[in-house]
Amino acid sequence: MTSRRWILVAGAVVLVAVLGLLWWLFGPRPSAPPEELAGVEAVETGEPVAFTLYFPGPRGLLEAEERELAVADAPRGRARSLVLALLEGPRTRGLYRPFPEEVGLLDVYLAADGVVYVDLGGEEVANPPTSGSLEEMARVYSLVETLTYNLPEVRRVGLLWNGVQRETLSGHLDTSRPLGPKDDLLSPAARRARAG
Amino acid sequence: MSRRIPRILPIAPIAVTLLLLSGGALPVRSQEPAAQEPAAVPAPPDLPGTGAAADQPPDSIERDAQSRDPRFAGAVELPEPIIGVVDLGQPTVVNAQGPLFPLRRIVASLGGKLVELEESVTLELDDSEVIAGPGNPVMIVGREIVQLSQAPVQGEPLKEGLLVPLDFLRQSYGRFTDYEIQWSPATRRLSAVRRQPRLLAVTVDVVHLQGVSTVVLQFPERLDYRLEERGEDIEVLPLRDRLEPAPGQSVVRDPLVRAVRVEPERIDLDLAAGTTAESYTLENPYRLVFDVVRGGEQGAATSTGSTGSPGGVPDGAGRAPEPPTPSRGLRTVVIDPGHGGEESGAVGPSGLLEKDLTLEIARTLRDRLRRRLPVKVVLTRDDDSRLPLDTRSAIANQNKADLFISIHLNSYLGAEARGAETYFLSTEASDSRAAETAELENAVGAGGDDEALYDLQLILWDLAQSYHLAASQRVANLIQEELNGALGLRDRGVKQAPFRVLMGAAMPAVLVELGFLSNPDEETKLRDPGYRADLVDALVRAITRFRSEVEVSDGRLTTEPPPAPTTERGPGGDADLAAGADPGTDSDDLAGRPAGGHAP
Repeated sequence: MTSRRWILVAGAVVLVAVLGLLWWLFGPRPSAPPEELAGVEAVETGEPVAFTLYFPGPRGLLEAEERELAVADAPRGRARSLVLALLEGPRTRGLYRPFPEEVGLLDVYLAADGVVYVDLGGEEVANPPTSGSLEEMARVYSLVETLTYNLPEVRRVGLLWNGVQRETLSGHLDTSRPLGPKDDLLSPAARRARAG
Repeated sequence: MSRRIPRILPIAPIAVTLLLLSGGALPVRSQEPAAQEPAAVPAPPDLPGTGAAADQPPDSIERDAQSRDPRFAGAVELPEPIIGVVDLGQPTVVNAQGPLFPLRRIVASLGGKLVELEESVTLELDDSEVIAGPGNPVMIVGREIVQLSQAPVQGEPLKEGLLVPLDFLRQSYGRFTDYEIQWSPATRRLSAVRRQPRLLAVTVDVVHLQGVSTVVLQFPERLDYRLEERGEDIEVLPLRDRLEPAPGQSVVRDPLVRAVRVEPERIDLDLAAGTTAESYTLENPYRLVFDVVRGGEQGAATSTGSTGSPGGVPDGAGRAPEPPTPSRGLRTVVIDPGHGGEESGAVGPSGLLEKDLTLEIARTLRDRLRRRLPVKVVLTRDDDSRLPLDTRSAIANQNKADLFISIHLNSYLGAEARGAETYFLSTEASDSRAAETAELENAVGAGGDDEALYDLQLILWDLAQSYHLAASQRVANLIQEELNGALGLRDRGVKQAPFRVLMGAAMPAVLVELGFLSNPDEETKLRDPGYRADLVDALVRAITRFRSEVEVSDGRLTTEPPPAPTTERGPGGDADLAAGADPGTDSDDLAGRPAGGHAP
C-alpha cells in the first residue's frame, strides 16, 4: 500500500516537472506579436480594456454599451475584437444585434491614412441582408462609430462583403469608399456620455 | 485683450489718396533687396504667372515673398500698406497639421454670418459663402471644393463651436474680405491685417473661330470676382482687387464682341445684340474665358451674379464638366422606384415587398403629376427589373431632369420604428469624392496618363450633386412638410446621408422614405390604396410648391452661384433657399431628430 502510494506521488512529481518543462519550452512568450494571430476567432490576450460599443437602439439611433474586452495591444487585434463583440450582439436589453447570426467576420485590415477595412460575410450569406435604409445605416454605422470612437488611429471604415468592396450593402449607403463617423446617428444619451 | 478696429473703414478714400500719392502705382521691386534677383527683365504682362494661381501659401511670410517676386509682377502691385490689424488671439489646439481656431470667435471679430448645422457650418461673407463641416478635410468655397490641411473639429466645450485650420480662414476671409490672415508660430497669435487691394493687370484677348468668339481675360493671379449680366452687357466685378489694362492692348475687332473695357473696379464686356455667353476659368495662368455665340445655342448665358472662381480644373486637361447652369423652371421630373428585380429591398412582416410598393407609388405619382403640372415625368424603371444605382441618376441626367426623387420604404431591426423621412446627400459624401478629385487633378496636372484624366472626369461627374445641395435640401423640406401635414405620420425629419443614388444626379435630388414596412401598423396602412394615394398627393403638393418657387426665383435655386447681392435680390429673395439659410427649420430638423422623432 505504502509503496503504491509512493509510486503515485513520484509519478505526480514527474508529471508536474514534465508539464513545467513543456510550458517553459512551448508556452506563450510575453512578447508574442499579436498581429500574427490572424483569423476569425477572438484574440483575447492581455488585460481587459473598457470600450464603448454602439448598438442600434429602439428608436433607430445608436446607443452606447460599455464593455470590457480582453484585447491584444495592436490596433488590428483591437479592431477585430470590437467587430466580433458587435456581431455577437448587445448585452443591454432593448438594443439590437446589428447583423444576422449567420454573418461572421472574415478579416480586418489596417490601411494607411487611418482606414480600417472590415470584411464580413460567410458561406451562408453570399449577399448582405436586404433591408430599408435605416436598417442598413444602423448596421454600417454601428461598425463605423464603434471603431472610430474606440481606436484613435482609425478615422474611416471600409466595408467588404466576402472580400468584395460593394457599391452598397443593401441599396442605399455608398460603401464603395471608406465611411467616416456620422455622429447624428447617436442617441442623445450616447452623445451626452461622450461629451461628459 | 484683442485690439479691434471698426468693421467698416473708409478704405476707398485711403486707397485713392495712396494711389494719387504714389502716382498710380508703385512697383514693388523698389522694395526688393538688390541681391535677391537680377534686376531688369520687366515681366511682360502676358507672361504666365508661374505658380501665381497655385494654392494659398502655407504662410503669410511666404506670400509676401511671392508677391515681391518679379515673376509675379506681371501686375505692378501696390506696396499694400497696412491699414489695420485685428488680433484674433491664440488657437484652441495646435497639432501636427497646424493650429485650429474657434470660428465663432473669429466671426465675432471679423464679421460675417455663421449658420451652424449639425454636419456643416456655412460662413457668409457679403455675397460669398463657404461651407465646412467637422471631420471633413475639404471645404466648399463658392462653387469650388478646396482641400484643407486638416479637417475642422467640433470644439470642446461645445460652445466653442467649430475649430478650423488656418487655410479655412485664408480661403474665406482671405479671399472674400480685404483681410489677410497672418499666423505667427513664434508668438502663437493669429491676426487679420487689412491691406489695400491688389492692383492686377488684365490682358484681354479676343479670338473668333467658326461662329464662336472667345474672350480671354488673363490675370497675373487668381481673381475672386462676381459676374453681372444685363442683356448683352456682362460685367466682371472683382471682390477685392483693383484692375488695370495691361499695356499695349489693341482695340477689339470682332463680329460678336463690340468692346472689352478694363476699369479699376470692373471689366465690361459689350457683346453684339442677340448673343449669349458662357464663362469658365482656366488655371496656370489664371484666365476667365467667355465663349460668345449668336442666339441661345449655347444654353443659358452666364447667369446674373455668378461668383468666381469656379473649379480648379487643370489647364489642358480637357474641360471637365462645368457646374451645370441653373435650370429655368421645373420641366422634367425623374421618379426612381427604389430597388427592383432580385433586390427586393425591405420586406414587411406579412411579406409586402418594398420594390413592388415603390413601383406602384411611382407610377401613380407619374400619372398625377402629368395631370396636375405641365411637366415631363420619367420613371427610371417601369417594371420589376434590377437597375444599378448609378444608372438611375444617369437616366435623370440624360433626361436633363430638373428634379430627381427616389421613392423608398424603410425597415429597421425592431418593429417600433415608424414615420417618414426625407434625405438629401450629405456633404461628407461629396467631400470624400472631392478629395479623390484633388488627388487626380494633381496626377493629371503633373502630366498624368489618360486613365487619370478619364477617372477625373468620371469623378467630377459624380460630384454633380454637390452643386445642388441647397435646392435638394429645400425639396426635402417641402416633401417632409407635406407628408407631416397630410398624414399625421411621425416626423422623422429631413436628414442627410451618403446615399449612392443621389451622388451622380446633376439636379436637385432627394430620397424619400414613405414609412416603415417593418412596422406592422404601417405595413397595413401601406397596403391600402387610399393611404398610398394620400402619400402621392402629398408628394404632388410638395413638387408643385417647389415648381412655383423655382419659377419665381427664375430657376436660380442652386447652391451655385450664390445669389448676387445686387438690385433684384431682396432680403426674402433667394436667401431662404441658400444652403443652411433656413436655420430655424433645419436646426430643428437636425437637432430635433432625437427630440422630434425619438424622444423618450
